[in-house]
Amino acid sequence: MNIIEFFISRWDAILQMTISHFTIVILAMIISIILGVIIGILITNNKQLAKVILNVANILMTIPSLALFSVLIPIMGIGKAPAIAGLVLYTQLPIIRNVYTGIITIDPSIIEAARGMGLSNTKIMFKIKIPLAFPVIMAGLRTATVMGIGIGAIAAYIGAGGLGEYIFQGINRGNDRMIIIGAVMVSLITIIVDKGLGLIQKKYEL
Amino acid sequence: MIRFENVVKKYNELDKMAVDNLNLHIKKGEICMLLGPSGCGKTTTMKMINKLIKSTSGNIYIDDKNIDKVDPIKLRLSIGYVIQGTGLFPHMTIGENIAMVPKELGWDKARIDARIDELLELMELDPKVYKDKRPKDLSGGQRQRVGVARALAADPPVMLMDEPFGALDPITRGKLQDEFLRVQEKLGKTIVFVTHDIDEAIKMGDKIAIMKDGKLVQYASPAEILSQPADDFVAELIGGNGAIKMMNLIKCKDVLRKLPSIDIESESILALNLMKEQGVRNIIVKDKNHKVLGYVRYKDAFKNQNAPLANILNEIGETVSPGTTLKEALSLMFSMGRKAIFISKEKGSIDGIITMDDLLKAVNDDDQDEDTLS
Repeated sequence: MNIIEFFISRWDAILQMTISHFTIVILAMIISIILGVIIGILITNNKQLAKVILNVANILMTIPSLALFSVLIPIMGIGKAPAIAGLVLYTQLPIIRNVYTGIITIDPSIIEAARGMGLSNTKIMFKIKIPLAFPVIMAGLRTATVMGIGIGAIAAYIGAGGLGEYIFQGINRGNDRMIIIGAVMVSLITIIVDKGLGLIQKKYEL
Repeated sequence: MIRFENVVKKYNELDKMAVDNLNLHIKKGEICMLLGPSGCGKTTTMKMINKLIKSTSGNIYIDDKNIDKVDPIKLRLSIGYVIQGTGLFPHMTIGENIAMVPKELGWDKARIDARIDELLELMELDPKVYKDKRPKDLSGGQRQRVGVARALAADPPVMLMDEPFGALDPITRGKLQDEFLRVQEKLGKTIVFVTHDIDEAIKMGDKIAIMKDGKLVQYASPAEILSQPADDFVAELIGGNGAIKMMNLIKCKDVLRKLPSIDIESESILALNLMKEQGVRNIIVKDKNHKVLGYVRYKDAFKNQNAPLANILNEIGETVSPGTTLKEALSLMFSMGRKAIFISKEKGSIDGIITMDDLLKAVNDDDQDEDTLS
C-alpha cells in the first residue's frame, strides 16, 4: 500500500485528528490573543512594567515546549486543558511584544495632535493607536499562531490528541507513512493559516 | 479673548521656571506670534491654553472664562490645533481626518461632508481629488494645508499653531504663509502661533510676544518691535538687517507714487510739462479707451520733444499688486534688472510706481525714527 492509498484508507481518522488539532490551537489562540493584546496595551502606559512583562514572556518562550507541557501535568493533569494552557503561555511573547512595540513606536506627533484636538485617552487608543499598530499586531498574531500549530503537535504528548498523536503513534509503531502524513498535515494547516492571516495583515498596511 | 494672569509653569520643584509669571492679553481676531529661542517657554505657554500642559499657578482665561473650570476634552474640541509635521492620522483619508472633531461634536453626516468640501476648497485643494486620498499621497505643503483645514473643521474661535510651517521648504512655507493670511482675513480667528523664525513672526503677526527664559520680554506690533526693540536681546533676535526686515512689513501701496497719464496722440512736450508739474519722472500712456499702452520716461521726452509719444514708449513689464511687500518688489526689480516697478491692482490699469529710491527712503525713514527714539 503506497502512502496515498494509506492516506485515503485512513482519511476518516486523519480528518478527525486534524479537526481536533485545529480546535485546540484555535481555542488556545483565542485566549492567547485576548490576553496578549490586553497585556500589551496595558503595559504601554508603564515602561518599567513593560520591561518585566516582556522578560517573563521571553523566559516562557525559552522553556522547551515539552518541558512546559510536562510541568503543567501535576497542576492540570493531562488532556486538552493543560495543552491549551501551555500553548497560551508559549505564544504570549510575540503577541505582547508586537502590540507593545506597535503602539509605542507610533509617531508621537500623531498622538499629540489627537490629544490636542480633544480626543480622550480611550478614543485615542481605539481610533488612533490600535488601528495604526494593527499591521504590527497582526504580524505578532501570525507568528504566534504559526508557532501554536507547530507546538500543538507536541501537546499530544500530554494526551491532547490532534495530529501530534498520529505522529507519535507512527514513531511508536515504526510506521513512516503515519509520521509523514501527520507532519505534512501540520505543515499544511500552518501554511494555510499563515497565508490567510498574511492577507488580512496586508489589507491594513498603510 | 485669551488672557494670561500671573501664569507660572514649573516642570518640577527643583527646575527653574519654564514660564515665569506671564501676563499676556491676546485680543480677539489677532494673530499673536510667540517668538523666542528653544527653551524660552513659548511652546509651554501655548500648550497651557488647551491644557496639554497644566499651569503650576496663575489663571488663563478664554473669553473671560477660567479654563481651570472647563473640561479639558471640551476645551480642546473648541480650539483648533495645528502642529509641525501636521500630525495627520495616516490610516484615515483626508476627509476622515478633517471630520474627526465635527464627529466628536456629534454633527450629522451631511453637515460634515459639506464642511469637508468647504474647507478643502478654502485651502485650495480640490475636494474631488483629495477627499479620499491618504496623507501619504500628498506633498508636504498639501499635508500642512489639510492640517490647517482639520483644525478649522468645527470653526473654533481660537487656533493654536505650533510651528506649523517649520518643516517646509522656504518656497512652500512662503506660499502657505500668504495663503493662511488670506484665509485669516476672511475668518478673523484669534490665533496663537509659535515660531522661532523672526521673519515669520514679522510677516504673520499682528502682535509679537518675545520670550526669553520663561519671561515675556516684549509684546508689541512687528513694526514697533523692529523700530523700538525693548532690550539688547530683542535687538539681537531681530538681527542686523532691520532695514531689510522692515521691507517685509511695508506694502507697495504704502509708498507707491501716483503717476499722471496721457493720451498716446498727445505731443511729447505736453507729457514733459505734466511730469514737471507733478514732479515725477515717468508718465503712463493710454489709448483712447483708457487702456494702458506703456510709459514714457522724462529724459526720453526731454530729448525728443517733437517726436510722437509712440516712438519713445516703453513697455510696462511685470507689475506687482498693491499688497506686495517692498522686499518682494525689490527682489522682482533685481530679477528684471530694473530700477522701478509698476503697481497694478488689476490687469490694464496702473496704480503707480515704486523706484529704488522710494524703497530706500521708506526704509530709511524708519531707521531715523529708531535713532531718535533710542
